Amino acid sequence: MNPDELKFHREHTWVKVTGRKATIGITDYAQEALGDIVYIDLPEVDTDVDANSEIGEIESTKATSSLISPLSGKVYEVNEDLSESPEILNEDPYGKGWIAVIEIDDPSDADDLMDASEYLKYVEEEAK
Amino acid sequence: MKLAIIGAGPGGYIAALRAAHLGAEVTVIEKEEVGGTCLNWGCIPTKAILASTGLLAKTRRFKEYGLECNGEIKPDLAAILARKNKIVRTQIQGIRSLLKHRGVILKEGQGSLTSPRTILCHSRNGTGETIETDGIIIATGSRPYQVAAFPFDGKQILSSNDILNLTEVPKSLLIVGAGVIGCEFACIFKELGSEVSVIEMLPRVLATEDEEISAVLEREFKKKKIKVFTDTKVQSITAQPDGVHALFPDGGKIIAEKALIATGRAFNSEGIGLEEVGVRRGPYGEIIANRKLETSIPGIYAVGDVTGGLLLAHVASKEGTTAVTNALGGEKAMDYSAVPSAIFTSPEIASVGLREHQAFEQGIKIRTGHFQFRALAKAHAIGEIEGLVKVVSDEKTDRVLGVHIIGPGASVLVHEATLAIENGLKTKDIGETVHAHPTLSEALMEAAEDVHGDAIHVIRK
Repeated sequence: MNPDELKFHREHTWVKVTGRKATIGITDYAQEALGDIVYIDLPEVDTDVDANSEIGEIESTKATSSLISPLSGKVYEVNEDLSESPEILNEDPYGKGWIAVIEIDDPSDADDLMDASEYLKYVEEEAK
Repeated sequence: MKLAIIGAGPGGYIAALRAAHLGAEVTVIEKEEVGGTCLNWGCIPTKAILASTGLLAKTRRFKEYGLECNGEIKPDLAAILARKNKIVRTQIQGIRSLLKHRGVILKEGQGSLTSPRTILCHSRNGTGETIETDGIIIATGSRPYQVAAFPFDGKQILSSNDILNLTEVPKSLLIVGAGVIGCEFACIFKELGSEVSVIEMLPRVLATEDEEISAVLEREFKKKKIKVFTDTKVQSITAQPDGVHALFPDGGKIIAEKALIATGRAFNSEGIGLEEVGVRRGPYGEIIANRKLETSIPGIYAVGDVTGGLLLAHVASKEGTTAVTNALGGEKAMDYSAVPSAIFTSPEIASVGLREHQAFEQGIKIRTGHFQFRALAKAHAIGEIEGLVKVVSDEKTDRVLGVHIIGPGASVLVHEATLAIENGLKTKDIGETVHAHPTLSEALMEAAEDVHGDAIHVIRK
């Protein structure tokens, strides 16, 4: 997946909206900052999630970090492969490392998120 | 002075030894085996088995540690239990010789009070003997609580005593109750190869621990593929030819080869003459004793599990020695504010003092500090990075009120915190104390410093 086609949330998740469905994952910056990811606590299918709230947890060898939902809706599908092989999150965060698909309440919510260049600036600011 | 003690578990035998040391003429009556639940069915047997499963777990990770192995490592339950039995036997012999050495008379049989100063001892061979005494300590302990709707059958529906007699690892094990016993056995049997499901009526596992500790353990269980169902009531459990069937109110069903019912403990206060001499009991059958461990009848003391307080061996022992002091004319009261407890799950858990939710319920304003083991070099070096240390302190005085640990070495680390609470120390006292590097003890120092945002190895957002 090309990051230019994605939208970004300030808690370092990305979103790809297709109709009413949004695929989400963590950004390359997030996986880099976390280091080797050893476990992800995935959200459950059919649970309602709110934007900006915790929907799971990611553990790396360095830290445990909340997974924050970028949008509101209902979890439609999760990437079960990550349970067995969480290292996919490090290897391919924008591709095979997708985390979940959310059926979003309002597709226009995604408009409020950052685009790739804005996110890049945001990350540079945060790194300072 | 003569002192008679009913029960030779960690409450009774410790009391007997202390009383004998202080010059009393002591008789202790035991109907099963010295060491009580702790040594025969509880603490020690499970820790012996856990030593095997813990080594198994570690050995299975040999590649991570740069080792090669040509054969297969697998558990042999019969051999594990034989090792356990040997350890228990040695400890029993140890207690018996201590009692003998100190001149304590051990009567093997069932003791029951016939007056506030006499006990009738029915020995195993059927003879009865009346023991006259100047003081009595009741330390009869507790037993697995039996749910009326699904009584133990010892074959498929098991108590925590029965499960120690299994000769084969069940393919699947359903555990009812996610307290200390349920969670420890979940770890043991998962490692041995059973499919384990744990059912808990309350909203979280280990409901008496700090909520954050429960949350980490639930996640670790998820990683191990131990299935946990919280907020779940069991409607019925029946033994069928194809296994144990558990039904749930929503119509759900779990079938497992065996079920362990670990829903609590019942108090051994029946059949020991309490009604006859008028010793008061509470609604659950627990003997009511004051902080000096004296019951409603002067000169009769009760200690340990049977009093229904904290069901911990070390509490029973402390109560035992305290009761002895009082029975022999001294004056001593129990203080439960700094009692550590340890749970030998994987990862290990230990805690002392106030939980965050208790502080909230009691209206105490607190601060908390946290430290993740994964931020510690030593944790990485030994390959055990899971878990955290949490410090709860008084917002105004900075005194340490509680410490909650889940992670490697928790049961050892908790004692520094216990000493701090016992002596009213502040988080700054722990934070400013030099801790050796590289050790797991650094985690407590960092968590104490984190109370004031001063932990070195924490990245702040």
